[in-house]
Amino acid sequence: MAVAELTSAAGSIAPRRRRAWAAVSRIGGGLAILIPILLLSSLITYSLGALSNSNPAATILGQDAATPAAVAKLDKALGLDKPLLVQYWDWLTQAVQGHLGTSYFTQIPVSQSIAQRLPVDLSIAILAVILAVLTGGTAGTVAAIRRGGWVDRAVTLVCSAVSTLPAFVVGIILVVLFAVVWRVLPANGYVGPSGGIVPWLQHIILPSLALSLQVSADIARQLRTSLVSVLEQDYIVGARVRGLPYRRILVRHALRNASGPALTILGNDFPIMLAGAVAAEAVFSLPGLGQLLLESAQTRDIPVVQGVLLVVSTFVIVINLVVNTTLNLLYRSSDGVSA
Amino acid sequence: MAGNPPPDEVLGIEDLHVTVHDGAATAIRGVSLSVRTGEIVGLVGESGSGKTLTCRAALGVIPASCAISQGTISFGRQDVTDLSRRGWERLHGTGMGAVFQDPASYLNPNLTVGSQLAEVLRVKQRMPRRQAHRTSIELFTAVGLHGPERVFHQIPAELSGGMLQRVMIAIAISCGPRLLIADEATTALDVTIQAEIIELLRDLRDQRGLAVLFVSHDLAVIRELCDRVVVFYAGEVVESGSVEEIIERPSHPYTQALLRVASVGDYGRRELQVIPGQPPRVGAEITGCRFAARCPAAIAACRSGPVDLTMLAHGHDARCVRASDPELAAITAAAPADGLVAPDAELAVR
Amino acid sequence: MSERDRRTLTGSGSVLRLPSARIAVVIVAIVVVLAIFGSALAPQNPLAINASALFQGPSPHHLLGTDYLGRDVLSRLMAGTRLSVLTAFEAVGIGLVLGGPLGIATVFLGKWFDFGANRVADALMTLPYIFFAVAVTAALGNGLVQAMFAVGILLAPGFFRVTRAATLEYARAQYVEAAELLGASKLHVIRVHVVRKVLPNLAVMTATATAGALLAVSFLTFLGIGVQPPAPTWGGVLSSDLDYLNLSPWAPFIPGVLIAITVGALNTLADAFRDRTGPGTLTVADPVIKTHSTLTLEAADGRQPAA
Repeated sequence: MAVAELTSAAGSIAPRRRRAWAAVSRIGGGLAILIPILLLSSLITYSLGALSNSNPAATILGQDAATPAAVAKLDKALGLDKPLLVQYWDWLTQAVQGHLGTSYFTQIPVSQSIAQRLPVDLSIAILAVILAVLTGGTAGTVAAIRRGGWVDRAVTLVCSAVSTLPAFVVGIILVVLFAVVWRVLPANGYVGPSGGIVPWLQHIILPSLALSLQVSADIARQLRTSLVSVLEQDYIVGARVRGLPYRRILVRHALRNASGPALTILGNDFPIMLAGAVAAEAVFSLPGLGQLLLESAQTRDIPVVQGVLLVVSTFVIVINLVVNTTLNLLYRSSDGVSA
Repeated sequence: MAGNPPPDEVLGIEDLHVTVHDGAATAIRGVSLSVRTGEIVGLVGESGSGKTLTCRAALGVIPASCAISQGTISFGRQDVTDLSRRGWERLHGTGMGAVFQDPASYLNPNLTVGSQLAEVLRVKQRMPRRQAHRTSIELFTAVGLHGPERVFHQIPAELSGGMLQRVMIAIAISCGPRLLIADEATTALDVTIQAEIIELLRDLRDQRGLAVLFVSHDLAVIRELCDRVVVFYAGEVVESGSVEEIIERPSHPYTQALLRVASVGDYGRRELQVIPGQPPRVGAEITGCRFAARCPAAIAACRSGPVDLTMLAHGHDARCVRASDPELAAITAAAPADGLVAPDAELAVR
Repeated sequence: MSERDRRTLTGSGSVLRLPSARIAVVIVAIVVVLAIFGSALAPQNPLAINASALFQGPSPHHLLGTDYLGRDVLSRLMAGTRLSVLTAFEAVGIGLVLGGPLGIATVFLGKWFDFGANRVADALMTLPYIFFAVAVTAALGNGLVQAMFAVGILLAPGFFRVTRAATLEYARAQYVEAAELLGASKLHVIRVHVVRKVLPNLAVMTATATAGALLAVSFLTFLGIGVQPPAPTWGGVLSSDLDYLNLSPWAPFIPGVLIAITVGALNTLADAFRDRTGPGTLTVADPVIKTHSTLTLEAADGRQPAA
């Protein structure tokens, strides 16, 4: 062992580089699995269009003009006469460059429609994540520190209750309380930040709250469990006998090691939040992607539907990737995850 | 020595009683010991004898279900028995440091060992980052780590037990404490590394006047390293004295049995030795001597009432009714060494 | 689930010893009865419009009040139970039939098949169910049946993982090898041993999936999918209540509480089943429609979902 030390002239960089490589390969491995998943889900969503037995060309042309010749001509123009996989590939390659096709009916490029509505959902989602992490994290931490006390029991109870409330029910409760009964916040509509920060926040706070509640409860519960377990570990005692202040031990050692599973929960719950976003849009009349999807589903505007699904799946995968990377950064040793 | 004032007492434990299981049982009864500057005091005894709990009490980290029901602990001239959390935060690191049996589990597995040492320096001594890094390297070198620059950036999982123990010692002494508590610090290491760590502790004592409370069940190591020895049995101190006195003139049957089992001192033998019987359950209420059930020399007086420490020579005490009896040694030496039930495997001859 | 509840459940005996589980069973039973007999039990005609009795509060005649067209809310909710429950069962059934046997089969059909099946399961689980369900209605028509078919497909991976995990444990057990050596065919082994092992886990998954499916139905009808007015559905009642909040702010609480209670009851049952079978047995089942993430707590220990 001593010989190995002396001969490694790389000095202090070697262990860091080695660990960095391990982390990169883990992330890369995750990516390697996620990319096929993305392709697969986009294929599934694309095939939905093919499943549709409505003839888009006929629908676009309208009843009278839909002569077989005209339909065939439009089919060719839209590329609908090619085999499914070829269509899929064309669509995918175009999508990667940002071209998601054009709406059958409005002639507006799909990417434009999506880009218009994305900020709404992003605002709500980001604020919701912040809220969920803050409330869930605090509740979970306090419950773990004062384990067995009344705070702990109250938090557990509230979490169980909240967990069963889906976002649209919560949204409605919030609207009733804050917009109708107390009249402090607007009941619907969306105002972008360009219209003023305060109105923007006023309009997104309730929807974000509705989204975040369930995730917040899940995070609180998981964090409490992990933190209680971590606080019993020997290295917490080790940190104490070094004379480190309690707060520092809590944050830099305990929370750091305990937050992994909670972070995973955040990633797993992201699809729930997306569903909640659709609910929030419906309850609060927000012009977001969910509404776009509903409208285009009604009219069977397939390109729009496919575009929205692809964007949504991509987001889910990206979030998964971010969570993965963060976990790899937090946990340097592969056995370092203390559950 | 004549003319020199006695060295200061660093750690003083006086009549300590500790209850466990939320007060259901008393695990430590009337333990008293002291450690002076530059002194290495060994605590020896079986598992469950109370030596670890005593250390934890001295460190202020006894588990939540345990409590000090009686007695005082003092550090230097300060009574720390009821010290607040803030008080302990100040004392830890700068006043006393600790190393434990399994160093890997006492370090954060997700941070580099270097950053954990530097953290202590930055927080406790307000060192700027660069200086903390440099001092960390110096400390690693001082404890005998090869390639300290490289070790700095490694996580605990990448280091061997011996290296980790050196890291722990480095961290423990980083803020210049007066006392180091080492709880089974060498137990999990192999013999050559053990010798190196012992040498390191001795050097630290010689160079810095560090007082050490060294807990072990291994008498051979204790003999090698310690100046004084305190022998624990069933939550009590049964004998204490200088290491020469204890090794050459053990006056308590338990100490004598320990020496025989460990083949240390006069009792060097080759066959496997055991002490017949089992130690009492933790917190068991026993009238009289707690070792009487297993003692080959027990008499009626041993079981009649509590046994106090008898002062034998200067600094040498033993808790035995027959401590001064010249025939005691002969009786225990002749006692059969093949008991029905072996106590801990630790006590088998090495 | 509280520690005290957990201790009550360990050991043999029916799940029904737990008070919360008993309440849950009662609630579920009521809902099922309503689903079967629906309109017949309703005190009033759920479709009867009464222009002179709009937005009334609870009264002896209308136990839960009337809606914006003067219809009795209680009757509407009772009648709507059938559609919600039936379509929820449709989704769970599809998920079970698609995912369950496939999960068992994949253990025996070779590495490549297993790998592919797992990737497909992962892919399906990245799609948020509501988007997928709505997209399917774009393709197949605006009907609740189609939408719940989509939900069923998304539930399948959950069942797939449960049966696969249980089969894996079993297939590697020594006595399965022994049984095979003694001449029992693979099919026999599956039928006798694997099924018996899988059933408890499957019960948990079914309860959770039903909760999720019910939630999905309520959500979809709330969004207006598959609702043919004036036929009542839970989500539909909730949605129309939303339009008239100013006139009757507390109205949406009624269907909301109904949905929440039913879903909560199913989740409690799932919890009770799960604690009965032991937490270790369900480490890889991630419910797709997460209403209640107790199942994910075991899965979320920092590891990737089992490949």
